[in-house]
Formats: sequence, structure tokens, C-alpha cells
Amino acid sequence: MSGEKRGWVALSVVVPLAALAALVWVVWKYGTGVELAAPAPIEKLDFLRVEFLPGELRAHVVNSGPEPVTIAAVQIGWTNRASWDFTVEPDPTLPRLGRATVTVPYPWLPGEPYQIALVSSTGLVFLHDVEVAQETPRAASALGPFALIGVYVGVIPVYLGLLWLPLLRRLRPEWYDFLLSLTVGLLVFLGVDALTEGIETAGRIPGPYQGTALLAMGFLITVLLLQGVGSGARRMGAGRGEAAAARLLAYMIAFGIGIHNLGEGLAIGGAYALGELGLGKLLVLGFMVHNVTEGVAIVAPVTRTGVSVAHLAGMGLLAGVPTILGTWISALVYSDVWSVLFLGIGAGAVFQVVYAILKHMGGRQQVAAFSVRNISGFVLGLLMMYATGLAVIA
Amino acid sequence: MSPIENLRNSNKRVWAWIAVAAAGMGVGYLLAVAPASEKEPDHSAHAHSGEGYPASSASGAGGAGSDRFQYLHPEEHHTAGQAALPPEAVFPIEPPPRPDKPGVREYRLVVREDIPHEVSPGVQIAAWTFNGKVPGPVLRAVVGDTIRVTLVNEGKLPHTIHFHGVHPSDMDGVFELVPPGKEYTYEFKARPFGVFPYHCHSMPSSQHIHNGLYGMMIVDPPTPRPPRRELALIMSAFDTDRDGEADFYAWNGRAFQYATNPVPLKVGEKVRMYVLNMFEEMMAPHIHAAMFDLYPSGTSTRPSELTDVVDLAIAERAIMEFEYEYPGTFMFQCHFSEHMELGLMGWFNVTGEPKPEPTAELRRER
Repeated sequence: MSGEKRGWVALSVVVPLAALAALVWVVWKYGTGVELAAPAPIEKLDFLRVEFLPGELRAHVVNSGPEPVTIAAVQIGWTNRASWDFTVEPDPTLPRLGRATVTVPYPWLPGEPYQIALVSSTGLVFLHDVEVAQETPRAASALGPFALIGVYVGVIPVYLGLLWLPLLRRLRPEWYDFLLSLTVGLLVFLGVDALTEGIETAGRIPGPYQGTALLAMGFLITVLLLQGVGSGARRMGAGRGEAAAARLLAYMIAFGIGIHNLGEGLAIGGAYALGELGLGKLLVLGFMVHNVTEGVAIVAPVTRTGVSVAHLAGMGLLAGVPTILGTWISALVYSDVWSVLFLGIGAGAVFQVVYAILKHMGGRQQVAAFSVRNISGFVLGLLMMYATGLAVIA
Repeated sequence: MSPIENLRNSNKRVWAWIAVAAAGMGVGYLLAVAPASEKEPDHSAHAHSGEGYPASSASGAGGAGSDRFQYLHPEEHHTAGQAALPPEAVFPIEPPPRPDKPGVREYRLVVREDIPHEVSPGVQIAAWTFNGKVPGPVLRAVVGDTIRVTLVNEGKLPHTIHFHGVHPSDMDGVFELVPPGKEYTYEFKARPFGVFPYHCHSMPSSQHIHNGLYGMMIVDPPTPRPPRRELALIMSAFDTDRDGEADFYAWNGRAFQYATNPVPLKVGEKVRMYVLNMFEEMMAPHIHAAMFDLYPSGTSTRPSELTDVVDLAIAERAIMEFEYEYPGTFMFQCHFSEHMELGLMGWFNVTGEPKPEPTAELRRER
């Protein structure tokens, strides 16, 4: 490139940036020239987390509107609202995206419904309803119980599913593709489930976090990354035989399910943190039954070739333990944003695995991919997920 | 070849960019999502206490038990950082005195819109006001006097004043809208004696009234009522977020103002309280630890009943006469719990030696 040409290129980089900076400065200083001021205050507060502590309510809120918001009064509702004393930390005035903790000394009772109303200095009221109050576990002491929930919901079911391996191995070879199709059915259901749950949670999180975009980013980046990693791994494993390839596929499924379970753990904990979910026995049992199918999905590829117990244990950990991590993260921080991200990642991982399995099936060219047997396997997978999902009463 | 492999082979830098983007996202969300503060809120700094509400006292903070949630005695407000309002911020509770000779009672009521009005500490609404305040001033005349009220409209909307009582059609404030920048004079004979509301009657009336355009008018009987310490109180409410549900209730336009700034009374002091309900709900004014003689609508000089609570429907009003036998701090409230809990609550601070003998109200033959 000649010096002259280089100069032009440099100029073409600098000029738009300089012009943008100048424009920002002018608008900042003199306004847009368009009357954009709202006739009424635009204020928005979102509740991130509500804690019920002994004799005290604590609401963690974020200002998700464009203007600063000052919290001027607090009313607590039990059938009707009542004004209460309160403190705000760090400051009653929240800048855009600023956060604050509102503490209200209040003699709440477990099992009762409450409404928390934050009144801004302009008289706007921001409400959060808690259907059933129960004491929020302190972060540190929640780790134990939340880990247990993770074990119930994630680890135990996956291992239970893995235990079917001896049975599955006894199936005749022509049923191998049936099993893989069944796995595809299970995974597609999981993926769609993760996406819908992600979209639902995305609607719940404050606007500036752009929930849907976050979900899409998590999904797309995961698909692309796993695709890259997977083909790299396959290349490294090339020539090591069918057993290694099948094992790799099983690990990929376990990984995808693991990420999905991380999102599930976050979602459970997130709902719990907002006081929206009583973690009843039924819910935990429902998730357990639902997730047993995940174990079946993981072992499907290795039913023909066999796999060592150590590998099986590893796959179980990979798929199940992230549930615990998810509940832990949600016990420590506001988790709905994370939940959306990981549900996106989980869905991406699951669909990428679906693609990998289809490729695996197609690569062996033994039977037509859309045989009656394969299609019925796929449909059975969907139905299994649907039927066990009925047990999840959330 | 997968898309990623394609990318890798064609341009390795794409990988670097993806890594940078992913790391950036991670760091960004760590910063954005990290909990605001897991430490215990510091109750002393930035204490932003409500006033007159159930509160944790400074000494009792952290203590368990129901005393933590009881009403604070107003004298303890200072220790809890619940300072009284500056006197000029409290709506004067005493009405103007009865005019001592017959004549023309002239008032000038200036209507302005969107005047900042604090309905509760820190909560400011854009009120519509007579003479800059919610409620408007107490008007007072003796029966037979001429009442002459000039409405000066300094707002952007047409307004009127509709008085309750007896008067000609064009003094009724329904048809004669007063345009912005104009004046209108209402003139009529004050009768009968009693307590009356006045309020704007422009459409939509709900908006004009509940934005603050209301007040009380007292018409005294020809023979003066016996002199007493007089209090005038309007019960109303404010729907600050316009969702059809009141967010604050108030004596004289401001929630809890007589809780942070109690009304001083003396043992044996004879009190006459004029009370008017200006909201669209039933109100039940109630005084603690004393009984009052009730004069419904104030249109009689003979009490109808000895009681301590009365129902007032919208625009209904009454005179209550009472005195205290014991010193202490006594609540006066609306007995609808929600109204009380959202601001219709105040204290009488009664001083003096206990005088445990029946008050005039209790001694009266019925």
C-alpha cells in the first residue's frame, strides 16, 4: 500500500469516529432539537430479589428506567397496604441501572401473602407480590439445602437413567438407531423447553438486560463453539475406532444436558429468590422423574460399544452437577439474567448435540434416517418427556 | 466442513474476536449482575425513615418482639431520626375564628394547577390548589352574612367553585365555567348554619376534586356556639399513580402530618372539631380515650349522640365536641385500618394533671 493510500484509509477510520464524538457532544450539550421530554416522569423500578428475614423484609431493586428514581415511601400490603418505616442502602436515589436494598422492619408471618409497594418521590408505585411468605435462607446456610435440591433434581435422576445401560445394551443392534432417535426426541424436547423457559424468564428481567438478545447470543455462540470444539475433538479421535467416537458423542450429550441443567438450577433458585416458588416435595419429585430421561439420552450412543464405569461416572457428573452450581449461583446473586444466558447456552448445546447425533447416525449409513423405527423412536422420546413433564407442577 | 472450521481456515482472527466478545460479555455481566451489597444495611447512615409509621426505635433496632413494630411515641421520634415537620409545612389545624359582627365575608380563591404538594414525606404530586394549598382555606361566616368569593383562575383549564348550601342557580358553580385568566364572583347569603364542603365542579369532577380543589366552609349559628378550642379537619386521599386506588390518606392533605407534629391539648380543655369527608369512600373518624357529642352536618346546636366514632359518607360532615380527662398521647384516626395505616392518623398530645371526673359530654342528660 502506498503512503498516500494508507493515509486515506487512516482518515476513513478517524473521520467517522471524530464526527460521532462531535455529534454526541452537540446533542449532550444542546439537546436533539426535538421535544422528547416525557409529559410525565418515566420511572421504573424492578425487583431483583426479595428476602424474608426474621422481623424484616428486604427488597433488592434496580432502576431500569431512563431517569433517576428516588424511593420516598414504602408500603407493605397484607390484604391492604400500610405505610412502614424503612431504610435504603446505599442511597434512596437510584441512578439509571443503579441498585439499592430497601430494608423494612416488619412482623411478617410465614404462609401469608404480602405485597411490597415502593413509592417514588413523584408518587409512582412499584409493586411486588409474594404469594406465600417463607423465610429466605441466608446465602451461606442456603448452600447446603440448595446443593441437596441440585442432587435431587440433577445428579440422582441422571445416574438413575444411566443405570439402564445394561438393559439397553441387550437390545438388538437394529434398535441402536431407535435408541439414538429416542435420544434426539428427548433432546429436542429439552431444547425447546429451555428456549421457552428462557423466553419466559427473559420477559421477567429488567429491559436494559435485553433478555431475548441474551438468550439468542447464548444459543448461537454455543452452537458455533461446540461445533468447532466437536469437530476438533473428532479429528483428534479419528482412527481410534467407533467406541471412542460413540463415547465422545455421549460426553457431548452429557455436556449439553449439563449446561441445560445449570440453567434449570438457576431458574429454580431464581424463582425461589423472588419468593415466587414454594419448593414443595411435588416439584422436586417432578423434576426427578422428568430428568431420569436425561440419563437414557446420555448412554444411548454407547449401548453398542460399551463404556467403562469411570466414564459413566464422569458423564453423570458432567450432566448432573451443574444443577447444583446453578442453584448455588442463584442463592448468592440475582440469577434471572444468568438464568436466561444459561438457558440459551443450554438450548444451543442441546441442539448442537442433536445435530451431532444425526450426523453420527447418517454417517453409518445402515438404515434410512427417516425409517419408521427411527421416527417412532423420536416420537417416543418426545412423549416420554411430555409425560414425565406432567409431574413437574411448577 | 463446519462453518466454524471454515472460519478458522479462512481467518483465525475471527476466533480471537469471538473469544474477546465472550470474555467481554462475561466481565460485563459479572459487573452488572454482581449483588449490589450483601452486607448488612447501615441503619444509621442514609436513614430514610417514614414518619409516624410503625417503626423500629433506635434503641430497639435489632431486638425481637412486637414492641419493635408498635407505633413510636411521638416524643421518641427524634431518637429514631423521625424529625417533626417544620411548622410551616403542617396544614393549620385551627379554623379562622367566628366573625364577631354581621357583614360581608370576602374571599379570593386563586386556582393554580400543578403546584408541588407533598402528600407524604418525600412524595410530591402536582396538585391543583385553591390559594396554593390542599385543602383550600376554611371559609367562615355567620348565618345571614353575605359570602362573596372571587374565583381567580390562574390555571390552564376552566374551573368553578360549587358550594354546598342554599343559593341561586348561577351561584352553584356548575354551568358558569371560569376560563383560564378570568375571574368570577360568587355571592350568596350564608344559610343554614352548619359545616359545608366547597369544591371545583369542572368536568371531569373526579380529577378536579381529587387533584386538590376542595375545602371547608363553616357557617355559624346566630347565637354563637359556646367558645371552645376549635379544630378543622378534612379527610381525603390521593391516588398518586393513577391506578384507581388511593395510595395515601390524609388529615388536611398530608399523610401523618399530625403524627409527626402532634396537636397539643390540655386536660379539661373543651374541644370542637369540624370534620369533613372529601373522598369517594366511607370514612370513620375516631378519637381515642374520650367520647364526643356528635352534631351531624353541624346543622343543630343539640347533639344527636354521644360516641367515639361515626361514619361519614362522601361529602358528609359533622361537629364533634369533647375534652380529655387524662394527660397523654392519644390517637385520632379513621377507623378504616387501611386509611389509618396509609396516613389518616394523628396524635393529640394532652398535658396537665389527670382529672378523672365525667366531662361535660358525659354529664349531659340525654
